Order: sequence, then C-alpha cells, then structure tokens
Amino acid sequence: MEPNTGTAETRSNGTASDGDDVAALESLQFTDEIHRLISATTTNNASSFTALLELPAPEAVELLHSPESAKLMAAPAPNIEDFKASFHFPSNSGLIERAARFSLFAGVGNNNNNTSNSPETPSNNPSANPQKAVKSEPAETESSEPLVSDPTVEKRCIKRKDREKKVKGSTKKSKTAMNESSEDAEKLPYVHVRARRGQATDSHSLAERARREKINARMKLLQELVPGCSKISGTALVLDEIINHVQFLQRQVEILSMRLATVNPRIDFDLDSIFTTESGSLMDSNFPSMVMPLVWPEVQVNGNRQQYQQQWHFDALQQAVWGREEVCNNYITPENSLLSYDSSANSATLHSNQMKMEL
Amino acid sequence: MNSSHLNPSSSLKSRFTTRFLRALTRINARKPISPSSPREIFQRYRRIKVAADKSMASSVRSRRTWSRATLWKLRSRSCLQLASLGRRRSVKTSTITSRQAIMKKTSHEIENKTTTEEDHQDRFVGQADKLRELVPGGEAMDLCNLLDETAHYIKCLTTQVQLMRKIVDFYSL
Repeated sequence: MEPNTGTAETRSNGTASDGDDVAALESLQFTDEIHRLISATTTNNASSFTALLELPAPEAVELLHSPESAKLMAAPAPNIEDFKASFHFPSNSGLIERAARFSLFAGVGNNNNNTSNSPETPSNNPSANPQKAVKSEPAETESSEPLVSDPTVEKRCIKRKDREKKVKGSTKKSKTAMNESSEDAEKLPYVHVRARRGQATDSHSLAERARREKINARMKLLQELVPGCSKISGTALVLDEIINHVQFLQRQVEILSMRLATVNPRIDFDLDSIFTTESGSLMDSNFPSMVMPLVWPEVQVNGNRQQYQQQWHFDALQQAVWGREEVCNNYITPENSLLSYDSSANSATLHSNQMKMEL
Repeated sequence: MNSSHLNPSSSLKSRFTTRFLRALTRINARKPISPSSPREIFQRYRRIKVAADKSMASSVRSRRTWSRATLWKLRSRSCLQLASLGRRRSVKTSTITSRQAIMKKTSHEIENKTTTEEDHQDRFVGQADKLRELVPGGEAMDLCNLLDETAHYIKCLTTQVQLMRKIVDFYSL
C-alpha cells in the first residue's frame, strides 16, 4: 500500500493535514481536519437509511443487536468515497500508527480477525498495516459520533473484511474505480457500498451485492445450526442440507408425538399441582435417590407409595398415584409389547418431576 | 439444563414444557384412556402433535413469522372444524382467499427479484420454494427473511425434539 499512499500524496489538497497530524495527534484535531475536508469537498449528507440495513449484513448477529448504530452509520458513510478521492495520506508512518490507534480506526483491524471487539481494535491497529490507513480515513469521519461509531465502524470494517483484497486491489490502481464510486456517491445518496475493482458501480448492482452478502451471512449462520453443514461448500448443497434437516426435525416431532400417544395413556398428569407445589431444591435432593428404586414392576407400588408419602406430602401426587393404580393393571401388557420395560405409575410421576427439574 | 438460569433458551424450554405437559394432561384427561384401537391412537397422536406445535409457537409468542403462521393455521383449522360441524362455508372461503392473496404476493415478489437481480436468485428459487413450504408462514417472505426464519425455526424445532424425547424417555422408563 506504500505506492498507494504516494499517489495519495500527489493528489492531495489537504496539505494542512500534515502539519496538524504531526503536531498533535489528538482525535479532535484530526476530526477538525476531516470536517474541513468535508466542507471543502462537496459531500452528500443526505444518505438513505434504507440501504444501511444491508451494509452491516455480514454480521447478522450484530445487525440484530444494534440496528440503531447501523442507522447512524449512514450519515458519515457516503463521505468515504469522497475522502478517498480527496484525502491525501501523510507519509508519516508514525502519524499513521498513532492515528490508527484511535478506536475510530477500528476498520483497519479487519485482517486481524476481529469480528466483534472494538476495544481490541485500537490495540491491534498500531500493528495494523499503515497501508490500510487510506481505508481507515473514512473511519475517522465518524469521530463526530465517537460513542456510536465504534460498533458502526466495526460493522463497516467487518463488511470491509470480506473485501479487503479487492479493495486493496482497487486502491493500488490509479483510483479511477474510486473516482467512479465517489462520483456515484455524490450522485446517488443511497450508495455507501464501496465498489470493487472491475465491478459495476451503479446503485442496482451495489444494492444487490449488499443484499447478497446479507444472504450469505445468513447462510453461514444456518450452516452452523445444521450439523454437518459446515463442510459442504456451495450454497445449493447447503440449502439442500438445510431442507433435509428441517424435514428430518418435523418428522422427529411426528414420531415422538406418536410415541407419546402410545406410551402415555396410562399416565395421569397431575402436573399443575406438581408445578405449583414443587420446590426445586426438594426435587434435587430427593430424586436421584428415589428414581433408581422406582424402575420396578408394579408389584412394589405399595411400598413406593408409602415412601413418597413420607417424603413429599403431595396430596395431589397421592391422588394421582391411587387413581393410577387401577388403570395400570390393565395396560401393562400393551406397554410391554411397546416398551422393553415395565414401569410403575409412581415412577412415572417421579420421572415427570425429575424431568421438570432437569429442564 | 437449568431452568433457573436467566437464559432465553432455557426459558423457552421451560415455557414449552409447561404448556406441552399441560396440554398432554388435558388430552389424557379428556379421553379416558383407551388406546387399544389404532384409530384412537391416531387421534391422540394428531392431538398431541397439534398440542406440541401449538405450545411451541405460543412459547415463541408470535415474535416470529413462523410462530404467528403456525398459530394462525391452527386456529383457522379449529375454526374450520367448527364451521364444518355447523355447515358454514364462510370461514373456509375467507381462509382460502387470504391464502391465495399471500401466494400471489409471493409469486409477484419472486418475479420482481428475478428481473432485477442477477443469477443469484435463480440459483435459489427452486430450493427457496421448498423451504417456503416447510417453514410455516414462509410463503410471503423474501429470501433474506426466509433464511432468518429458517434459522430460528430450526433452533426451536431442535429444542422441541429434545424436550419431547426427554418426556417420552421418562414416561417409557
């Protein structure tokens, strides 16, 4: 990116920035410089917030969490292209490093794998390449809103992360692409997506590109959700896998409800009372000891029931137990055919409580 | 799994379990347990499945399109059943026409997209349609939101399957 900064210098019109930066690298002064540049160049401050939502797409989670900051990002965003065109970057690498340290240069830290830590980026930035400084200039534009800019710059830098190389390529070029995009930025207030090298720069394709990136981000999330999907490459296959997974899950629900329909007829759920009267600690202490002896045939129901009466004093539970006793005898054989074991009614209620506790 | 922790997913689990178990109780209480005939078992199965879906959707509380669509579908189905009992056709036709309206809107949206966008949408149209069928309420959404809904739907389905499996295991022991 060194030649890039050289070229940037040559076409500079912000000679004052050199002196300022060297003198006092306060973010405020830098922002003053930037504001001057803003006023100097014609910038379009009218930016559309609608396109914004597509900008931070690559990190859908962040998008969901901080839509407001995404909106705020819109205002300074269009200035990027302008700055690229007009901003000359001082050759002072020390300046660059110090400037990079500010949180506003979060965008520079892209290649250092940050996806969600803006506080980390300031520390990363000094080591981050000064070559990226050209790109980081626009990040400075948000210094006017330092508080909200961090997440917004993050988002932008995340978006930029996806296209580092391409932007690098474009900056290495003679900046004609940049000019085009900047021109577009001036003409069309909605555009704040940077044009890549060799890509069309009209608003339609840019919007589509942003949308596509949004969709790709969501596909990545889905890939993580669906087991075994991360190895697959190619969106069509991934979608197939997702569809199969959804069908599989729906079928599982059907199978389990079928099992419930066959398994449970003998069980009387007296869960309302159980839920109201249960105390978590009581369950926790008693269950592990109680569950094991309960997986016995009904012959032992009486003994178990007495144990329960002593330990739990659930009137409702007792009623349920007694009520169930008559029913159980009739349905043991069908249950045996369906299941490998025999279970007592008491164990069933206890298990329900245990399950509730566990859940 | 700790329901006591302030975890949104665990609260989803606990909400689902309470509702589902309550529904199961009601189902078991209503039908004095006679599972001998397969027909009855099938009816129970249907009811339980409906209860599972309904409790899942109400746990999500219509924050999501798919949950709203599921609840709406279930309610309209129960309305239809009542209507068929009462020999009234108006409910049926209204639901059908609203469905058609949604389908028309979807096809129109898809048309727009294929004309303006490049081949991106074309790649996904076939599979997106399939996904729309699977995910309740997916008909009237663009691909972006559809993927969002699918992700949340998959998450909730996995929870549902997990919990139901636990219930079944406990009651089969």
